[in-house]
Amino acid sequence: MSKQTEAEHELAQLIVENLNLEDVEAAEMDPEAPLFGGDLGLDSIDALEIALAVSKHYGFQLRSDNPDNKQIFASLRALSAHIEQHRPNA
Amino acid sequence: MSAHWRHRPEGGGLFALWLIRTIALRCGRPVARVVLYPVTLYFFLRRRPERRSSRQFLQRVLGRPATLREVFRHLHAFAAITLDRVFMLARGERGFAVQVEGLERLHEALDEGRGAVLIGSHHGSFEALRMLSQRYPQVPLRVVLNKQQTPAMTALLEALAPDIGERVIDGAQDPASVVLALGEAVREGHMVALLADRGRPDEAMLKVPFFGEPAPFPLGPWLLAVSLRVPVVLCFGLYLGGNRYKLVFESFADTAMLPRRGRREAVQAYVQAYAARLEALARAYPYNWFNFYDFWHDTPRVAGTDAGAGVGDDVGARA
Repeated sequence: MSKQTEAEHELAQLIVENLNLEDVEAAEMDPEAPLFGGDLGLDSIDALEIALAVSKHYGFQLRSDNPDNKQIFASLRALSAHIEQHRPNA
Repeated sequence: MSAHWRHRPEGGGLFALWLIRTIALRCGRPVARVVLYPVTLYFFLRRRPERRSSRQFLQRVLGRPATLREVFRHLHAFAAITLDRVFMLARGERGFAVQVEGLERLHEALDEGRGAVLIGSHHGSFEALRMLSQRYPQVPLRVVLNKQQTPAMTALLEALAPDIGERVIDGAQDPASVVLALGEAVREGHMVALLADRGRPDEAMLKVPFFGEPAPFPLGPWLLAVSLRVPVVLCFGLYLGGNRYKLVFESFADTAMLPRRGRREAVQAYVQAYAARLEALARAYPYNWFNFYDFWHDTPRVAGTDAGAGVGDDVGARA
């Protein structure tokens, strides 16, 4: 498993907390593993909860009309990179 | 093993739809209704799987073997509502006698302004429910339609009812986009319609009692309804024969009330309760049952055979 960056770890914690993933430790999430349909037990419907949590925590919206959504939601790493690129500067 | 229903031709394809549309709109409903008889006869003779599944379903409901006449009546009802879709899309309620039952349930749900999920089925005419949305232009009705899989239906919608066509959420996009689009629709206070009787081959299903025998129902619509945190209203667009339709609305649940931890149990209870209501309506209006495949045993296939399935093709991993 490749190592989580700080930003990825923060996002992993947000996901674990908001989706009540009882059997998953944020620190043990593989940043390159598929977000949906993999070992995490998440599916595409969880994109709703993730989007909600991201908007509260980072202050920006994941939108349905983004043509890159497939890539953005591919893994923790991809999602984190997208957030870091687009979040309003704190 | 019969072919999965998804692999059946989409209601005769573009040509048949063009033909039916041309005859219907040029010559009017009375003429088109006459043409329905030879069309039904053709289907009756040529589409053996549909004929067989009709006979099996009617036998379950009637408790005795169905006669050929009853099977013909069943297929004819399907042909009739398919034709009426054209008129409903082009002209709305005009020319139809539509009774509405339980509309106040829908009002209550919508008055709160936080959107609603309408759960429909392939029992009766979903198009008939769209007529209702013409009475409430201020609350748009949003449906998910896979534009790649149903090009004929999509073309028909865009030709006859462009305003409805614009509100279609394309199920061929990646699943996360479809789900986010539904979330955005609900946040704007729109009604979102989901069909909850048929699952896709790669969708998580739950077997619950239906006419005395466990039948698989998809979990996706309910998981989605739970995540959207909105009032859920069941709706049925029943065809009563002739030009008569009855729209029935029943309040079902408010998923905003659901604690996060009890969701799995709640979703299972929803599926059971829904199957019970669907059974009651299918018993009362058996000729409105338009799932022409073996509903109980047609086991969904493995993922990957069905490209771009849309919402929740991988859903239910936790349920």
